[in-house]
Amino acid sequence: MKKLLFMVLAILVVCGGLYLGADQLEKAQGITGENSLNLYNWGDYIDPELITKFEEETGYRVTYETFDSNEAMYTKIEQGGTNYDLAVPSEYMIERMIDENLLIELDQSKIKGLNNIDAQFLDQPFDPDNQYSIPYFWGTLGIIYNDKFVDEDAIQHWDDLWNSSLKNKVMLIDGAREIIGLALDSEGHSLNSKDDEQLAAAAKKLDSLTPNVKAIVADEIKMYMIQEEASVAVTFSGEASEMLWENENLHYVIPSEGSNLWFDNFVIPKTAKNFDAAYAFINFMLEPENAAQNAEYVGYSTPNKTALELLPSEITEDEQFYPNEETMKNLEVYEDLGSEYIGIYNDYFLEFKMHRK
Amino acid sequence: MKKKRFKWSNLYLVFVFIVLYAPIAFLIFYSFNDGGTMNSFTGFTLDNYVAVFADTRLIGIVLDTLLIALLSSLLATTIGTFGAIGIYFLKKRKTRNAVLSFNNILLVSPDVIIGASFLILFTFIGFRLGFTSVLLSHVAFSIPIVVLMVLPKLQEMNDTMIKAARDLGANTWQVLTKVILPSITPGILAGYFMAFTYSLDDFAVTFFVTGNGFTTLAVEIYSRARQGVSLEINALSALMFVFALILVVGYYFIQQHNLTKKQKNKKRQHAEAVGMR
Repeated sequence: MKKLLFMVLAILVVCGGLYLGADQLEKAQGITGENSLNLYNWGDYIDPELITKFEEETGYRVTYETFDSNEAMYTKIEQGGTNYDLAVPSEYMIERMIDENLLIELDQSKIKGLNNIDAQFLDQPFDPDNQYSIPYFWGTLGIIYNDKFVDEDAIQHWDDLWNSSLKNKVMLIDGAREIIGLALDSEGHSLNSKDDEQLAAAAKKLDSLTPNVKAIVADEIKMYMIQEEASVAVTFSGEASEMLWENENLHYVIPSEGSNLWFDNFVIPKTAKNFDAAYAFINFMLEPENAAQNAEYVGYSTPNKTALELLPSEITEDEQFYPNEETMKNLEVYEDLGSEYIGIYNDYFLEFKMHRK
Repeated sequence: MKKKRFKWSNLYLVFVFIVLYAPIAFLIFYSFNDGGTMNSFTGFTLDNYVAVFADTRLIGIVLDTLLIALLSSLLATTIGTFGAIGIYFLKKRKTRNAVLSFNNILLVSPDVIIGASFLILFTFIGFRLGFTSVLLSHVAFSIPIVVLMVLPKLQEMNDTMIKAARDLGANTWQVLTKVILPSITPGILAGYFMAFTYSLDDFAVTFFVTGNGFTTLAVEIYSRARQGVSLEINALSALMFVFALILVVGYYFIQQHNLTKKQKNKKRQHAEAVGMR
């Protein structure tokens, strides 16, 4: 009994010590309810130095919390019980959150520096007039290949994926919109097509891709490509930039005939507490030098056109991540298809996945 | 001396330990890597360790994680021990089995479901997510573990001791503190440490109930993994591993020390007894 009591006391003392330690740390960071900003972002999706800089400039203290998928973030915000002042969902999730009334309408008069953003990234179908969201990063869907196994000229278009020399070499990302979309693009249609004939043709075309498909996977693509287990993969530019970083034999191509354009945007959830801090942070990130620094750290493409001038030319002239106008013109953002057509896309994709070689 | 013979069972043991420790050794090895990734070892550096200590946010998360683990397992052990005693003294065998089954259901039900239920419950009653919500849910999922660790010790206990204590005039409090608790102490300790480790590495439940600036290490590492886990995490893991190693080795030596002391005492008593004769 004495032993147990002693242990309980010891544990409580350690707990007290830990509590004081954590408290001191928090105090050292100066976080109080009044001046704090709760930022809910993807893991490692901002340069930590920028947070320090923001804190020094404005006096606000940033609490940085992270999520790993749009769906996870959506659940947390939708259920309430949290007060994130700023979140960074992708475009389809923004549309859904607007529909479900989870976001506040932005007060445009409080946002400074929106004119730094390239006009082609504003006023997108998922958020007309940017009433709810401000672009943070953007990217594309494309093909990544390893020049050890595949020639540069051999992979420039979606159709090249069908080349018989790529038998059992192609990895696809596990997403219905992405894969059906690339088939539609290869046929010259819109990837938001709601035309039954076009969709059926695309699905049929996909079936003939089956012999070339090595696997349909998600995040694992990164590892497989870096370790050279596959020679070609279809994936997002953000993922690709990380792969390129790790393996210099890899290259990323955005097919000029068209592809998907994706966004991660700042939004202010309805549950936010500190609106001033949220606006201050948006404005801070809209400043060209901050956007440039962030783009360099994260490696994704910034929508801030003034920031581009501050970035080293080897980044901005890299057509893998800042494609030329010709390609940009053909990029499309996913529109909400409505549940009927989402179902059709999913069914076709499922059939494709089940198709036997 | 007999010559030592080669034993297959030893080989098996070595194999098992290699399987268990190789990943950790691999991870620690790369925590000293200069290259920034785990793909190839380019040179020795301590930068990753410096980065851990410079990252106050990460240190804060580690402290919070340990605090939650210590406190939640303490609460869970207290509640779970009395729960186990309660279950043990249930008169009807049928009810006892039923209660035990309810306990076991919680033990085997998937973490995701428990986590989602907590999220829904907490938000339904308007609870602010954060330290308290994480603490409460950790206490909740640790209780069944403690119950399961304490019950066998109760069953091992000699019931006649309780009867004897009663006959000698002990009241309920005395029976509890002088008879029951001392004989189940090993079970309670085991339960505590199980609960502690469960709480330390739980991701699924914790993920749902963190919020408002409060996270634990498991959740933080998981969300960082999307961008590829940085070697800073390797360094932190290495530090935590060494810390755990020191604790275990220390505990081992204290035990050895106590054991030899006991044996010495016994011998001395024996010698005194002989000398008195």
